[in-house]
Amino acid sequence: MAQTFSLSLKVSRFDPDTKKSWIQTYTVEAGEVLRLVDVLRMINENQDSTLTWPSSCEHGMCGSCAMRVNGKPVLACELLVGDAVEYFKTHIFSIKPLTIAPVLRDLVVDLETAYERIRVIKPYIIQAAAVHPEGDEYRIPPEILQIYESATRCINCFCCAQACISRPARFLGPNAMLSGIVRLMDHREMAKDERMDIVYGDRGVTRCHTSRACSHVCPKEIDVAHFLALAKESQLILSKGKMPE
Amino acid sequence: MGKQLYIDSVVKCDVLIIGAGGAGLRVAVEICEKRPDTKVIALTKLLSPQKSHTSTAQGGAAAVDPNDPSDKVIYHMFDTWKGSDCSGDQNVIYKVCHSAWDQIVWLERHGMHFSRTEAGRIPKRVYGGHTLNFGKGGKAARTCYEADRTGKGIMDTVWGEAIKHNVRFMNMAVAAELLFDNGRCAGALVFQEREGKFVGILAKSTVIATGGKMQMYLMNTNCRQNTGDGLTLVLEAGLPVMDLEAVQFHPTGLVGLGFLAAEAIRGYGGILRNKENQAFMAQYAPVAKDLAPRDFVSRCIMAEIREGRGLVHPDYNLPFVWLDLRHLPEYIHSQKLPEVESLMRKFLHVEPRTDLCPVAPVAHYQMGGIATDEFGRVQGQQLSPVAGLFACGEVAAASLHGFNRLGTNSLVELITMGQVVGQSVLTYLKDAEDHDKMPPDAGKIVFSQFSDYLNAKGNGDYSSIRNKLRSVMMENVGIFRTENTLTQAIESLREFKEEARKIPAPGTSLAMNQRLLEIWELNHLIDISAIIATGALHRKESRGAHFREDYPERRDEFNHHSLVTMPEFDNMTIGKRPIDMSIFDAAEENYEHFDFIERKY
Repeated sequence: MAQTFSLSLKVSRFDPDTKKSWIQTYTVEAGEVLRLVDVLRMINENQDSTLTWPSSCEHGMCGSCAMRVNGKPVLACELLVGDAVEYFKTHIFSIKPLTIAPVLRDLVVDLETAYERIRVIKPYIIQAAAVHPEGDEYRIPPEILQIYESATRCINCFCCAQACISRPARFLGPNAMLSGIVRLMDHREMAKDERMDIVYGDRGVTRCHTSRACSHVCPKEIDVAHFLALAKESQLILSKGKMPE
Repeated sequence: MGKQLYIDSVVKCDVLIIGAGGAGLRVAVEICEKRPDTKVIALTKLLSPQKSHTSTAQGGAAAVDPNDPSDKVIYHMFDTWKGSDCSGDQNVIYKVCHSAWDQIVWLERHGMHFSRTEAGRIPKRVYGGHTLNFGKGGKAARTCYEADRTGKGIMDTVWGEAIKHNVRFMNMAVAAELLFDNGRCAGALVFQEREGKFVGILAKSTVIATGGKMQMYLMNTNCRQNTGDGLTLVLEAGLPVMDLEAVQFHPTGLVGLGFLAAEAIRGYGGILRNKENQAFMAQYAPVAKDLAPRDFVSRCIMAEIREGRGLVHPDYNLPFVWLDLRHLPEYIHSQKLPEVESLMRKFLHVEPRTDLCPVAPVAHYQMGGIATDEFGRVQGQQLSPVAGLFACGEVAAASLHGFNRLGTNSLVELITMGQVVGQSVLTYLKDAEDHDKMPPDAGKIVFSQFSDYLNAKGNGDYSSIRNKLRSVMMENVGIFRTENTLTQAIESLREFKEEARKIPAPGTSLAMNQRLLEIWELNHLIDISAIIATGALHRKESRGAHFREDYPERRDEFNHHSLVTMPEFDNMTIGKRPIDMSIFDAAEENYEHFDFIERKY
């Protein structure tokens, strides 16, 4: 049978009606294979029906349930109780919402505000290349795709933006950069100048301080800092729409 | 007397899309590409449209590449027909299979990051039930994919395009009631969770694309928000739903967790094994083996478990069998199945390259849904289209899948039918007039529901009802069904509905009141469950994913769709819709394969 732990969860609460904030402590008995989302649901079901927390797919593909656990931004759906106890070496957990967007209630933040930074980077092909002569799909050699494929796995959970030491007002954020950098490398995107204006603009990669916190916290294990470094090395500027050698 | 509920404001648009997942946004983009000045509003229940459940689909989308000399569209049509256990509609099967490749190319040109062959082209792999030459030519490799995150690729692409075309998103908003004006759909009354306000959206046309609805099953692959809201919307408007009893159980959910280990694993040669390490599928399906369709494999796994050849997981205390990936080449693990490997590692502490993976069948997909015609127009009780109302994606049943869906046919449905429904909306918009004002009775249904929840004085326990519901549906209305289990389930559902009336919503605030919406959702789950169970009780036969132990054979007298209306709980009428046989009726080459054929693998 799975081992059970007595956990103490100190959860940041916020009531939008009274504008009151407080820390509430919940004590729960939780099996090691439960995830943090399961524990929050347990509290919600058995102790406090007002506790509000974000989640959707609950297996690390949508990125809705990012929150800070003992200071570290994580996906609540991916954090197993047993792993959390081992990793943080404690049974006491501070559970706080992200700070990259205003809190709506308790652990739910207004991701619409956070996504404004993604909209700036234009998460689509601005101007598509001419269609392949045979009229079907573009040809992208696998060795080219492989250069940026891991960056396409980003789910915009904003864990990296949370961990980033640059201020959001100044920097669009590591995840927004990934999206722009992918399209700089993507042969199908023709609007390279417009892309570079954003990626190398005022709120672009030059605001990155190379702390590598983004790579450290990414739940998808993308080496975000690697892509920021690539962009900063100016290879992309020099290649002007071509792939770096 | 409780809080007075009212409509805070009214917004007008050309098209209202309810549900901003893959299907909804494919519709939106089709409209905006062809008619750029169209004012489109897309609602999502979630924090952002990008969070939609489409993004969790792993395997791929089936499409016959015209450059492939061995494959033909008619083979895909046949596989879909046979897979549906002869209950998909042939007009829809024809349309979807013929446009599939064009829609794959559309996605690729709009920037989707498909995996690539050595020649730089979109690769294809094999999936269950997809064959060459009417099942006689071996497996067909026609599943186009982006590693094991194809749904995410589609979601990101249509979401990006929707942003590019200035679709207006309303996040954290649910459609609570459809509006009608002289029989035409005039939009919806929308509840904004963040603001706690009701907004009337008057739209010339409305598209329901709310996706899946399987949260009533204890073990399911669906996201937290998949609670059948879209089905309830049309039911409350007196419109029918179709084939809800056709619930697909995916054979390989991760034990205790529910989410999937993609069918692609078995496509690459992954093998199901029982407690004795036997590759048991060969006994049940000598030809297709582990790649038989999902309904079939799920029943075989359950048979193994029932006969004592399953195992019990020590952490979850749940039965399972093994999925063996250990013999797959290194590049398959790292390049084709990276998301699955990461799930196994993080959630089960299993290394698929060296360990066996514990899996069990889980509720995954509902073949049935809102009854539409082949153009995605929602049908009224007499099967004529309701003006201005459309449905697309998993919430809709046109029906491509009949009583069992082949793997990869859902993603292909949402991109092909998304385009079709977009075209239908464009046609409709040509002559559609504005709706000037809110119908006088707008809010009648939802205001009374919300008032009841806010004013409920009982001791109804939300979580206990929800948990009981999920257990009853899993045990009694699951993979194996009998008259006895279904009758019991229907009785329990009536009790749950009564108890649910006594659940008080905490506080009085409407803004960010999570439990208030959860009660609303729970009511939808109970309503939809009642239709699933009743439909299953009336269908005294076994067809596709609907398996009755007391009637284990398919029966000709049930060669029709089940059509159910339920304007209020338990007030059901059950009718029929004929299965479209247009390919068979056309009597052209190979038509004989599209008769009510025997289904063996």
